[in-house]
Amino acid sequence: MNPLDKPPVQLGLALLTVLVLPLVLKSGILATEILIFAMVVAACNLLLGYTGLLSFGQGIFFGIGTYAAGICLTRWSIPVPVVLGGAALLGALTATLVGWLSIRRQGVYFVMLTLAFSQLFYFVAYTFSDLTGGDNGLLGVPRPSVGGTALNTPWAYYTFVAVCFVTVFALLVMVTQSTFGRTLIAIRENEGRAAAIGFPTRLFKIEAFAISGAVTAFSGALHAMLIGVAPLSNIEYHTSELILIMTIIGGSSSLFGSVLGAGFYLLLADALSTVWPRWLLLLGLVLVTVALFLQRGLWGLVERGYDLIFRRGRSIDSETPAKEH
Amino acid sequence: MTDIALQTHGLGVKYGTFHALADVDLRIRRNSVHSIIGPNGAGKTTLFHALTGRVRASSGRIELDGRDITNTSDDDRVRLGIARSFQVTSLFPNLSLRENLRLAAQGRTPWQALAPWRRAESNREALATADEVIGRLALGAVANRLAGELSHGQQRRLEVGMAMASRPRVILLDEPTSGMGIDDIEAMKQLIRDLGRDHTVLFIEHNMGIVMNISDMVTVMRLGRKLVEGTPAEVREDPEVQRAYLGNMITGDIA
Ligand SMILES: Nc1ncnc2c1ncn2[C@@H]1O[C@H](COP(=O)(O)OP(=O)(O)O)[C@@H](O)[C@H]1O
Ligand SMILES: [Mg+2]
Repeated sequence: MNPLDKPPVQLGLALLTVLVLPLVLKSGILATEILIFAMVVAACNLLLGYTGLLSFGQGIFFGIGTYAAGICLTRWSIPVPVVLGGAALLGALTATLVGWLSIRRQGVYFVMLTLAFSQLFYFVAYTFSDLTGGDNGLLGVPRPSVGGTALNTPWAYYTFVAVCFVTVFALLVMVTQSTFGRTLIAIRENEGRAAAIGFPTRLFKIEAFAISGAVTAFSGALHAMLIGVAPLSNIEYHTSELILIMTIIGGSSSLFGSVLGAGFYLLLADALSTVWPRWLLLLGLVLVTVALFLQRGLWGLVERGYDLIFRRGRSIDSETPAKEH
Repeated sequence: MTDIALQTHGLGVKYGTFHALADVDLRIRRNSVHSIIGPNGAGKTTLFHALTGRVRASSGRIELDGRDITNTSDDDRVRLGIARSFQVTSLFPNLSLRENLRLAAQGRTPWQALAPWRRAESNREALATADEVIGRLALGAVANRLAGELSHGQQRRLEVGMAMASRPRVILLDEPTSGMGIDDIEAMKQLIRDLGRDHTVLFIEHNMGIVMNISDMVTVMRLGRKLVEGTPAEVREDPEVQRAYLGNMITGDIA
């Protein structure tokens, strides 16, 4: 195993990210958005990288979290921690349902099912505009306050999200290191064998969905508070696509890869969109490049770089394991 | 407890409209080595699929220790004490040999593994079982290698180890010696004989030398049906079997 994949290192990198972003970015909004999407992408990675499930349904959970926050905070004054917890719970329940139905099919049909659910939930949100605000979304979602002061400046809210991010990231690291996470990897590697040695593989996949949905909806709620709106676009199919793209750019072999994927995409989009209105075209080219030349994503590049610099001489020793034991 | 560990009544499996298995009655004695032989396509592997729940029986009944398990799921059957190895090696290639066996040992108590906060290493018993199997298969030198990087012979041994690690009472081995070198075959033969002392072993094999040497009972299959059944000596003398062998459908000598 590459030393960079060790849990303390991953956690250290996440902490470092939280500390470095304010130093290098002017916009607190952008920095906060990066952390929010880093959680969303890491949750997607739990499905894609660890369990081998390509889910186009992540936008559903993100949108559900967004609406949970939008509805609760604009209509009633429910405390923010309760809203966040409720959003996570609702996300977990929705993901359990979507996962439970989708994993009945394999491969392409599984992907199609998650896509279909994505469309379905979008139209539900669009149709029930009394609740969701339809096209307009829900406006005036307030920021949370801590100790009586509202976190109205971007960097104050960034601090709040940063604490959430580090906590969630640590929890996800724990999940991937657990016997549960290692069973997910086994299911990804060879589902037939995992079942043959006694694992009810469906149950494990559903739980992976539930955890992923909880984190995604939690982040969706944070996003609504960031931009002050619960927009319809958060539950669109397009959001699911965006999340998958970030996951693949980052690389699906480690959780911190997901942070890189979210950061890289959002920073690039931010830079390109100021340069050229047709920036999505350039983004497409970047994606093609990643798919062609960086199959393990940005994280794969980091690992290779690390090996080149620090393990050049030792790579031969580590490749031949000691015969005595 | 009865003397019969595993029993089938009129067991049949259909793939679409094709009867891969039909009317199979088996009685496998506890702690015996029972071989299944027959030409390719006879339905031997399908029989194992049905016994372990990988495919559903389309007719008939399966009993484990007198308990009907026909509709029990494959993972539940592991907990009831059935484990198998595969004819075509089926491992977790990007995980270490030890992790492969730890998972197989953990598979007996999968509910524990649903807790996302529990560390894999906290299941000492699974780790101990994995190490015990590693010792028994003499794979200690490569325990930390990725399963996909092992030699063919080592992978075949690990394949059998995966079945052993769930501590089954009934163990089903599907051509464990296929593609092995002579030395490995001899070690595998010893291992199976050894397993037969405290396990019920059901064993598909093409090498007649081994079959005749270590089996208590032999069932010969052809075209999805049971052809002949008996002790190795009885089967060897059977005119139907001799005809089958003359047809060159089974490799290896009848020693
Ligand atoms: N999944 C499947 N779908 C359709 N036919 C199958 C399938 N698996 C096996 N068969 C067929 O069933 C018959 C028995 O196969 P199998 O049980 O693998 O035989 P054996 O292990 O004795 O060589 C063969 O004719 C084979 O082609
Ligand atoms: Mg076969």
